[in-house]
Amino acid sequence: MSDASPVLRLEGVVKRYGDVPALDGVSLAVQGNEYVSLLGPSGSGKTTLLRVIAGFEVPDAGRVHFNGHDVTGQPPHERGIGFVFQNFALFPNMSVLQNVTYGLINADKGAVSPAEAERRALAMLEMVGLSGLEGRSTDQISGGQKQRVALARTLVKGPKLVLLDEPLGALDANLRARMRNELRSIRQELGVTFLHVTGSETEALAMGDRVAVLDRGRVLQIGAPDTVYHAPETPNVARFLNRYNLFAGTIPAQGQFAGPFGTVSTPPARPADEALYGIRFDRMIVEPENPAAPAPALHATFRASEYLGSSVVSFFEGEDGRIVETEHHMSMGAPPEFLTGQRYTLRWDPDHAIVFGQSAAG
Amino acid sequence: MESRILKPILGVYLALFILFLYGPFIVLGILSFQAGPDGGPQFPIIEWSTYWYRHLFGMTEVTRVAPLHLREALFRSLTLAFMTMVTATVLGVISAQAFRRRFRGSGVVFYLIVLGMMVPGVLTGLGISLLSSELGISRSWWGTAFVAHVVYTFPFAFLVMLAIFNRFDPSVEEASWSLGVSPIRTFRKVTLPIVFPGVLSSMLFAFTLSYDEFPRTLFASGSDLTLPRTIYATFAVEIHPNIFAFGVLTTLFSFALLTVFGILLYLSTRRAKKIARQEDI
Amino acid sequence: MTDKSASRAPAKDLAPAPAPAVAASPGRSGEGTAWLLITPGVIWMTLFLVAPILMIVYVSFWTQTTFAINPTPTLDSWRDFFTSSTYLNSLWTTVRIWLIVLAATLLVGYPAALFIGIFVRSRNLSIALLIICVIPFWTSFLIRVLAWRPMLGREGAINILLQKFGITSAPIDVLLFSQLSVIIGMTQIYVVFMVGPIAFMLSRIDRNVLEAARDLGAGFGRIFTRIILPLSLPGVVVGSIFVSVMVLGEFATSAALSGRQVNLLGNIIVTQVGSLKWAFASVVGVVLTVIIGIVIAMLLRVVDLKREL
Repeated sequence: MSDASPVLRLEGVVKRYGDVPALDGVSLAVQGNEYVSLLGPSGSGKTTLLRVIAGFEVPDAGRVHFNGHDVTGQPPHERGIGFVFQNFALFPNMSVLQNVTYGLINADKGAVSPAEAERRALAMLEMVGLSGLEGRSTDQISGGQKQRVALARTLVKGPKLVLLDEPLGALDANLRARMRNELRSIRQELGVTFLHVTGSETEALAMGDRVAVLDRGRVLQIGAPDTVYHAPETPNVARFLNRYNLFAGTIPAQGQFAGPFGTVSTPPARPADEALYGIRFDRMIVEPENPAAPAPALHATFRASEYLGSSVVSFFEGEDGRIVETEHHMSMGAPPEFLTGQRYTLRWDPDHAIVFGQSAAG
Repeated sequence: MESRILKPILGVYLALFILFLYGPFIVLGILSFQAGPDGGPQFPIIEWSTYWYRHLFGMTEVTRVAPLHLREALFRSLTLAFMTMVTATVLGVISAQAFRRRFRGSGVVFYLIVLGMMVPGVLTGLGISLLSSELGISRSWWGTAFVAHVVYTFPFAFLVMLAIFNRFDPSVEEASWSLGVSPIRTFRKVTLPIVFPGVLSSMLFAFTLSYDEFPRTLFASGSDLTLPRTIYATFAVEIHPNIFAFGVLTTLFSFALLTVFGILLYLSTRRAKKIARQEDI
Repeated sequence: MTDKSASRAPAKDLAPAPAPAVAASPGRSGEGTAWLLITPGVIWMTLFLVAPILMIVYVSFWTQTTFAINPTPTLDSWRDFFTSSTYLNSLWTTVRIWLIVLAATLLVGYPAALFIGIFVRSRNLSIALLIICVIPFWTSFLIRVLAWRPMLGREGAINILLQKFGITSAPIDVLLFSQLSVIIGMTQIYVVFMVGPIAFMLSRIDRNVLEAARDLGAGFGRIFTRIILPLSLPGVVVGSIFVSVMVLGEFATSAALSGRQVNLLGNIIVTQVGSLKWAFASVVGVVLTVIIGIVIAMLLRVVDLKREL
């Protein structure tokens, strides 16, 4: 976040398809040399947002400012904003090298000679680790290599801003993890701003200097990953993070919450339309069943667990049939063994909870 | 199992069916080698000879069998087919490109275009000749007949391109724009090369349909004959094996065209096949 | 709306639909660009297809003198058409030949399509067979018509073969220059347009459905009437439209093979134009247009093509 003025600034961008609003007044500022990940579930409008920024779609209302200019009505080829597609969208009729030189040679403005284009393209291909594959056709390379060609093709143009539309979505899990690191290091080396759209909360939290959470065409929260992670501002942000057990209930008085686990005192509630109590998976403590345990206590049956390498997630079924998850980090020692079908009591420190809603009193 | 009986029966039937399709051709081919100039257009073959082929090219002595004036007709037919091919393919490509985005009135426009291949040639031909005489435009193969040919072949090119664009991934175009390349240059450098097999098919349709087109030409081409009109002129009089020899040659020409098309199509889709092979491995 | 479609579909699928034309989206061809691209085609078809057909309708009400026409409106040509037995006969002949050829192409073509579409297991082989059937389409139409003359004539190939195998003792005259020769010729020329669409529809039938029906003990007759025939119906309709349009507009085959025995409406148009009877030719043209319109409308009633294809 070195530059003072934002590279990209959106003001109340609205885009409708028929009567369905895909973007419902999005405002957002992205600084230079920044990695912003845009997290949203399917249907949140995140791809539409990228397409509006790139100029593939014209917003029904609102403005898009890029690099200090209003580009709202400008066609995509005059904007100089890079775009990396989920399906890579390589030019099938060209070789790897031709894919990368294409934009340099054929650009409307600032086209360079073929020799110069080739020099730059080869340097860029080396940077993304594709040296030696220049002559291959785009169907003779793997998915990860296609991803790098798509990236090289975009970066070689030296854009200030690159939009990435679920760029890792088409890769397998191994490759995805590796490409994450590479994306970060390439971006840092070039000092270009990345706006990365993803549906995966892990990816969003891991990659962004800042994370913006989008839902139903609105930005719900934008901030540093740990802020978003520890302090989701709305119930839906907590939901999309996929790290919180959320319980519906009531707020009988300020600083109190009545839920399936009893009535407990809580930190101050964040204003929201629904009363919701959230506690992160890794804050949960599993104890042998104890009907007399004081609130908060949840009596649940162990169903299954899943090893994720660095942690174990266990699934318990509450008395209301809802699934509650707990997460045990391996760094905390070997995971406890639970018996399937056995009842346990789940407890936590009520100070760690996040509460949404308004007190019933007003 | 009944299909065990049915399958061979239908197989034999298909063989007979193909014989039915090709039989007349074969007979025509055999009779084109009839002796000349006295051999008639029927069996038996008096003597095998290439007389009628030589007759076609004016390499025989003058006899009572009038030579067919093929040279000018061939020139006109090829030129007309070429003009038609270019115009119909261009119209087909840009119209199909327009149909990639729905626009008001697209339904009506679709039927307007397809109507061109549905209306019988005799009606298009009659209408165009009526209109041209009303407007005082004289009929010619390169004018009135040409526009009639395009009316007929443009729908074929349009439908082929429509099918091709249906399977076209528009994100490669967007990728090109985002690299700073203008839409027009993008179309030339990215879109067109990718849909080229379709363009090739459109060209083949337009060329061969125009080259063989007859009813529209009969009404709309004025006094100059094209190849099909030269053939038609022989219908009314006694036929001689020279017309058979010509039939063999023009059929060979069609096959040569198909072969060239096949090779070009193979070359332009070999890349696509490579993809499939690569992904198998 | 499901989650998945909401985020991606707007860009790809939904966008073209009702998206309000806000200053035609740049780059991507907006509505304005679309109209710009479609205009040449629309102008071409309007000037050289719609206008000529309207001209035919208009001229059919003109006054015909011996060698010329003038735009004084009259119903004379129409009266002539509907009072002359020659022309009414020709109308009937056209309808009769159309029905016979339509039936013949269906009867001859369906079994061939059935074999190609259902019984050939290898997909490559069935494509190859289809190509073999379609190749004649790319050769000269008139040569194909003409090729029937040495086949059907008194001393033609068929008569020679029939006599050689002792099936007939004397040559059959009726083969050439008759209604029969026209029907044979047209059937051979147009049957491809019936085979193609039917074979295409048949090849889309899931083989597993047929296998399952057979395993359940259904005989071929039952499988045919219950599964194959209904599923191939759209192909039959498309093929019928092709064949009908082409046969109804025909005149060359009858000119070449009937020896003036068969006078279709198309032949009347040709001879009338030849003798400069433009107004009368136009009347016949309008009659032909109406017939074709009715036939296509009827065929489209049978199957809802938009839904089936």
